[in-house]
Amino acid sequence: MKTLKQHIYIIAGLLLLGACKPEIHTPKPVAGSADFSRYISVGNSLTAGYADGGLYLAGQQVSYPSIIGKQMQAVGGGAFTQPLFSTAQSNGSGYLSLTGFNADGTPITTPVTTNLGIRGQVTVPGFGNVILYTKYSGDINNYGVPGIKLLHITYAPYGNLNGYFERLLPGNPPTNSTTYLDFVMAKPFTFFSNWLGNNDALSYATSGGAGDVLTDKNTFAYLYNVLITTLTAKGQKGVVATIPDVTSIPYFNTITVSAILAGVQKANPAAQALYIKALVSGSTYAPRAATTNDLIVLTFPTSKIGQPVATPFGNLPYGLTPYTPIDNQYVLDEKEAALTEDYVTSYNNTIKTIAIAKGLAIFDAYTFLRNIKQNGLVVDGVSVNSNYISGGLFSLDGVHLTPRGYAIVADEFIKAINDKYNSSIPRVNISDYNGVKFP
Amino acid sequence: MRKVLLLMLFIAPLTAFSQGFQVNLEGQKQIGMGHTGVGTLQDGASVFFNPGAVAMLPENYIQGGISPLFFKSDFNPAGTSVQNRTSNKIATPFEFYGVWGPKSSFWKLGLGVYTPFGGLTDWGNTWQGKYVLESLNLKAIYFQPTLSIKLADFLSIGGGFVYNHGSVDLTRAIPLANSSGEPGQAELKGSGKGYGWNAGIYIKTESGVTVGITHRSQVNTTISNGNAIFKVPTSIQSSFPQPNTFTSTIPLPATNSIGFGFYPCSKWILALDVNIVNWDAYKTLSFDYKTNTSALQDTHSARNYQQAYSFRGGAQYKATNNVALRFGGGYASTAVADGYVTPEAPDANRVYGTLGLGYTLAKHLDIDISFEYEHLMQRTQTNIESQLSGTFKTDVYIPGISLAYHW
Repeated sequence: MKTLKQHIYIIAGLLLLGACKPEIHTPKPVAGSADFSRYISVGNSLTAGYADGGLYLAGQQVSYPSIIGKQMQAVGGGAFTQPLFSTAQSNGSGYLSLTGFNADGTPITTPVTTNLGIRGQVTVPGFGNVILYTKYSGDINNYGVPGIKLLHITYAPYGNLNGYFERLLPGNPPTNSTTYLDFVMAKPFTFFSNWLGNNDALSYATSGGAGDVLTDKNTFAYLYNVLITTLTAKGQKGVVATIPDVTSIPYFNTITVSAILAGVQKANPAAQALYIKALVSGSTYAPRAATTNDLIVLTFPTSKIGQPVATPFGNLPYGLTPYTPIDNQYVLDEKEAALTEDYVTSYNNTIKTIAIAKGLAIFDAYTFLRNIKQNGLVVDGVSVNSNYISGGLFSLDGVHLTPRGYAIVADEFIKAINDKYNSSIPRVNISDYNGVKFP
Repeated sequence: MRKVLLLMLFIAPLTAFSQGFQVNLEGQKQIGMGHTGVGTLQDGASVFFNPGAVAMLPENYIQGGISPLFFKSDFNPAGTSVQNRTSNKIATPFEFYGVWGPKSSFWKLGLGVYTPFGGLTDWGNTWQGKYVLESLNLKAIYFQPTLSIKLADFLSIGGGFVYNHGSVDLTRAIPLANSSGEPGQAELKGSGKGYGWNAGIYIKTESGVTVGITHRSQVNTTISNGNAIFKVPTSIQSSFPQPNTFTSTIPLPATNSIGFGFYPCSKWILALDVNIVNWDAYKTLSFDYKTNTSALQDTHSARNYQQAYSFRGGAQYKATNNVALRFGGGYASTAVADGYVTPEAPDANRVYGTLGLGYTLAKHLDIDISFEYEHLMQRTQTNIESQLSGTFKTDVYIPGISLAYHW
């Protein structure tokens, strides 16, 4: 009888020892019909990992291409290198950090100015000042250059006008003459992502329609065709993204006409309207009362409102009379917004048409971000939306993304690639990435 | 003008119980026989299994036992090969029963203290679902004084009043990072109470088959003034005021059971139980915070549970006068509909098997050991509320031991 008892103990003990961890068997990830052995990313600030109004090491390390590159390693992807700022100069160009909130709940942002990777500045005649950053000379898979437009990719002097591109080239201004497209094509690759074109519309919009021009639609189509034809010349596969609706970003939706007016009316109930300098047609601007369809930029110093401005009719309060309208650069007015929207739609039709013709995967960022603006998004128990700071998606500059935002974008790119090429690049764990950091 | 309104970041924290939280470990002899015991009569554990049968017990009993529970769950996020596993923590369901009555009398008094609901799950603070749940420690201890009366040689009834002392300790990460990139954390910690009853009928039929029918009522357990502890970055702590408390009522569902005992020969007992658990009473889970802000609102979360069933079978073989061998098993359907499965209790239809050994140490003293293995079917889910998407798979290993003194 004793032996039986011992047996039971032994069996129970064995069962406990064999109480090994449950294991969920998953199919081995495959590359499908694509080859990810050298993946490169082509694009602008969003691709570089720019955030909080600057390019800095921590942002580069969570750029969406680096996240994609890391996930691709499960399906034959190689090393993914980026032109990182060094640890000693980890704050790169400098950036904004959130340092607190005012009593009224408005955020206080402070520029970070230590440990920068800035080596100097040159003045280019007829162009202006160009900040020069510490050169980078290693391998590159991520070719994201903040500020670049599609318009610039075949422009030879561009390497002297954009410090972020200049730091990747060996020469000093004004000797650089390598076009961005040639630079990207210098080393063979098997797969690419391309998210160029945002700045062709965004630079116009963020300057309130005052500091830049929209790239001509036909020029955009011509250059996009050149770009994709070049990138796919050896049969490389890839993914492209559409251009987000500029009005879906917090940069244009945080300071609103109604909020400013409400603030004014608290002090002065007689105030009826804000006045802006608005587009009439072509390049003619005239003052008019602002409506909720006029978008005020995030960088507008609201303290200017009501300040006395000298006019032929005496001193009048800024922004509150037709004679002292809010400056054009602070407002993307209704007609400017509609114009931008029209161009973005045309650019996106170009992008989709060419991508379909070349058999590329498409991440429709326009639709995706528009959906988030309208409905928000919940992922792994985290709610995100397009609100400034609290939304968790957009960084402190109101244009670029947080690590969480970039991770979500990387995941969407991966979804598009997997759908198109029957690959199974592992999906991104969004919960590993943060939104805005709070003090 | 640029006021930052924090999101309603805090979704309902607790998805509460499921079959996964019903702990069916209320007697070592019964566990050995597939956790049957509604239609059979073994010992003082009948206070729980069928208060109606207690009066039929030939002796008085004092007994106590414990079942260390190893809950091993694995989550594989959709589209990855990643395996997130719960850490090895051991929950300790226990049972204590006392039964007393004058010799050969028609009545008996009983007391049961047992743990019919609970859970101990720790996914850690780095896994993909950390913003849904990090850890949960849930306990419900039922105290049940009981009276059972023999109406005839073939029929007895009984019932007991139930007092539940429940406690919960739940943590989850909050998606608000501080300057070093660490997310915040919420902890809900509190205890509460609830009341209910447990009653049953026990019949010995002429054919020798015994039949039991029981109803264990729903016990609405209210946790009032539990601590709601929020660790968030300093600059936004005012949106999550401290100290703060929460109130919540959780329905621990009613169970209806019918059980049969068969006695083919003197050495064998065969038992069969069917349970219907009224989880469908569980429609919504609400948390009411004492101090609300725009970021911290009361939560009302749809649950939409469904009725669940379990089928149990078991047998005992008296090898000698001193040794009983037991085995059994069963099947339990899930209470959680598709879209509502959560890491608190990643519930699914389950099968289980049990083994048991009873040994008479001395004239009045029994020792019983049991072992149970439960396997929850792999279940691939996207939770409607959290959008956490992936596959859960869970195994549970439960050894157990008890001592019973009877006279």
